[in-house]
Amino acid sequence: MTDGPVIAITGTSRGIGLAMAGYFAGLNYRVAGCSRGPCSLKAAGYFHTPVDVTDEKQVRGWIRAIKNQYGGIDILVCNAAMIPPASLLTATPLDIAEGTVRTNVLGTYLTCREVAKAMMLQRSGRIVVLSSMAVGLHEEGAAVYAASKSAVVEMTKVLAKEVASMGITCNVVAPSVFRASAIERLGEAVVKHALEQLTIKREVSIEEICGVIRFFAAPESGSITGQVVHMGLVA
Amino acid sequence: MLSEEHALQLIVDSLSSLRRGGLIQADLTITGGTVLLGSGSALDSIAFVTFVTDVEERLNRATGHELYLVLTDIHEFNDEDAYLSAATLARYIAGMPELRATAA
Repeated sequence: MTDGPVIAITGTSRGIGLAMAGYFAGLNYRVAGCSRGPCSLKAAGYFHTPVDVTDEKQVRGWIRAIKNQYGGIDILVCNAAMIPPASLLTATPLDIAEGTVRTNVLGTYLTCREVAKAMMLQRSGRIVVLSSMAVGLHEEGAAVYAASKSAVVEMTKVLAKEVASMGITCNVVAPSVFRASAIERLGEAVVKHALEQLTIKREVSIEEICGVIRFFAAPESGSITGQVVHMGLVA
Repeated sequence: MLSEEHALQLIVDSLSSLRRGGLIQADLTITGGTVLLGSGSALDSIAFVTFVTDVEERLNRATGHELYLVLTDIHEFNDEDAYLSAATLARYIAGMPELRATAA
């Protein structure tokens, strides 16, 4: 059993979330991950809970379980997100739009709300929300997804002001292309097209993404809040 | 089961703890009539949210139940003219269905 910082990460069954969970477990963090489905990660210090982040009761139960097991939460990474297939706004079915907003916006809201309350009691904490390069690219076919990722940026900035006096910081990292399952699902052509529009025209590694999270989480970053780091892109 | 007196004591303990932690500046003497929310309350919005979360934690430890305080479930609570006293909250806690079911 490790005694490193406690980090809660949503959406750890695949993609960036799974890679982040493995990265932080490898650094002896105590990692509490969740996702709707099972997680393949078997690492010391990692414990997984099946949670649908859009379900208030499940999110509350998960946060309480982490607190009961570890005594608190040092860092929250809101990663769980739904990436719908690229589709023009005029061709996007309502259920796809609703599902995307529900997972990406309301899931982030619920998780941040419950963890922020726990951190308020602790009088400390770091919240990092994942946005996306989609916010800066204004790509055709990504209207709903980009809107949802733009919404969490604004939500995080407002939350940052609300909880600043409680020793909690809230920041955003917007990764560019990470070769996760979601990106692979979009296809090589979409990935290639996205890369061409970036300032730094290559994929980012999990070490680079987690490096930004570690920067936000560092004790020396206590005065950095409400900020957005766009990776690979001049936003 | 949790009596109103026990619930009020939880509220007193929580407010005392928040005061010791500096979240409440006023020198409170806590009684059933102490205003928690509304005109005359010593708690600002952040302190109130922290207080509610702290009471939920204490309830969880005291009863072993996953209990959450939902202000709009309080019969006397009018969210258009928000006002909540310690006695009202204690009465609501003591009457929570999960705790009544335990007693039965």
